[in-house]
Amino acid sequence: MVLTKRIMIVEDEPGIREELCLLLANAGYEAIAVGEFTAVAEQVAAAAPDLLLLDVELPGADGFALCAQIRRGSRVPILFVTGKSSPIDELKALSLGGDDFVSKPYNIPVLLARIASVLRRAGKGAGECVEAAGMRLDLSRSTLTTAAGNVELTRNESRILCCLMREPGKIVSRADFIEFLWDSQIYIDDNTLSVNINRLREKLSPLGLADVIRTRRGMGYSL
Amino acid sequence: MTPAAYLRDKLGRFLFFLVSTAALAGFLLATGSAPGVVGLLLLCLLLIAAALVVVDFLTLRRRLDELNAIMDGLDQKYLFAECVPGPGSLLEKQYLALLKRSYKSMIERVSGLEESGREYREYIEQWVHEIKAPITVVRLACENEKNDFTRKILAQLERIEGHVERSLYYARSGNVENDFLIRETPLGEVVDGVIARNRQLLIQSGARIETENLGVAVYADGKWLDFILTQLLVNSAKYRSAAPVIEIGARAEGEDTVLCVRDNGIGIAPDELPRIFEKGFTGTNGRSLGSSTGIGLYLCRKLCARLGLAIAARSRQGEFTEIALRFPGAARGSDSYETVRRR
Repeated sequence: MVLTKRIMIVEDEPGIREELCLLLANAGYEAIAVGEFTAVAEQVAAAAPDLLLLDVELPGADGFALCAQIRRGSRVPILFVTGKSSPIDELKALSLGGDDFVSKPYNIPVLLARIASVLRRAGKGAGECVEAAGMRLDLSRSTLTTAAGNVELTRNESRILCCLMREPGKIVSRADFIEFLWDSQIYIDDNTLSVNINRLREKLSPLGLADVIRTRRGMGYSL
Repeated sequence: MTPAAYLRDKLGRFLFFLVSTAALAGFLLATGSAPGVVGLLLLCLLLIAAALVVVDFLTLRRRLDELNAIMDGLDQKYLFAECVPGPGSLLEKQYLALLKRSYKSMIERVSGLEESGREYREYIEQWVHEIKAPITVVRLACENEKNDFTRKILAQLERIEGHVERSLYYARSGNVENDFLIRETPLGEVVDGVIARNRQLLIQSGARIETENLGVAVYADGKWLDFILTQLLVNSAKYRSAAPVIEIGARAEGEDTVLCVRDNGIGIAPDELPRIFEKGFTGTNGRSLGSSTGIGLYLCRKLCARLGLAIAARSRQGEFTEIALRFPGAARGSDSYETVRRR
């Protein structure tokens, strides 16, 4: 198990702050939020997060000033989030030492992907392998390794399996599958999903895993 | 100004002159002047009068020609009163003063309207900025509590965001300030972003999206391109067939790169096709499905024009609609995108 990444949120709108904390927690991160907007740089230094989500419009010193201030003593990856989205703001954010820039209302998959990519660039990302039910899936090479041997998967198949293996035993609905695949830039419809799952089952059967993907009638699939 | 027009204009004066000359002649004859002397006197008077009229006509015509030439040469016609060379006759001076007063009041009115237009635009931009916070909260809350109910809310939220963005771009589209930045933009990233932002709408329409050859970069403004593609994708999802497929692909055409968004939807009637980019045009499709404003594609064309892109549509009713965006300059491979894709 990889160590949980700690993400610090600097955001003045309480509604966004709370939901963002919940979202990041659900995505498997440890989320902490800054509630007091005085001496933010010191709070950041004390919490030592793996990544900082920094809003630009803040009471008191704005995010840009804060970024410059934090950069003086720390190399923590900084991801700017802002309602303003002019090229100038983006340029300013990046030139002040920010690592990336996302504009509101952020689209959640994009935000999570950016967070993962910033963490990966900082050498803090999670590994690209998933293990469950005696199978080991290497996402970067799309290969599945079991005691009985290896099998090469297509991108779609490997994503489908990954979705199931993340939480073994949990029922994944068809809607969840399609959303997960769309988040991985595989834009399929319901019929194509069925075709892909059947193909995946065929590929798994020589390894003695024909029934590893169970159909839960009316609910979805599970490992 | 023709001599005839001039004479007609001065007719009253001539008649008065003739009548008073005749009266003078009558008076002289009645008081016993010799008819020869009277005749000579009348001839002299008429000659002098005619000479005066001719000189007056020529001066007037030269002045009018000069003023017309000034007006024709002016780029901003309303600056005329400022450009008239003086000094003219007393009447002309008075006219000019009146013209300037009228011009000044018009300038005040126009700048007042410009000011209120600018303030309104700023308010819209501010409003869009503010509405994004609550939208973000609802979006996050729904993402954190994913089920069929929140998925429905998310799809509607995407529509709300679409409307909000449109109003922002509508407010900006007539703006003289350039708030865009043309730079190398990876097409694939923009397309993925647009699809992600309208994910629920597209998934719930049952669509399958096929992307092809998007690992290229073009010269454009990412955000504006994002907006244009959003309009196209939302249209494809809206005017869909029973089993919707949307194809998004780029290809090189001579020096240019062409990005095509093609769907297998209900298509556009041939007689309506040339008008789809017009402001407020909704067409048969828009009317039968409702909720069409005729603004989306109009803004697309307007933004394309300012970005220097060509936009064109092809369609066959009941078969397909294809919108092509033509980017000037050859496509460049965008390595970063391909790496992301392979992962």
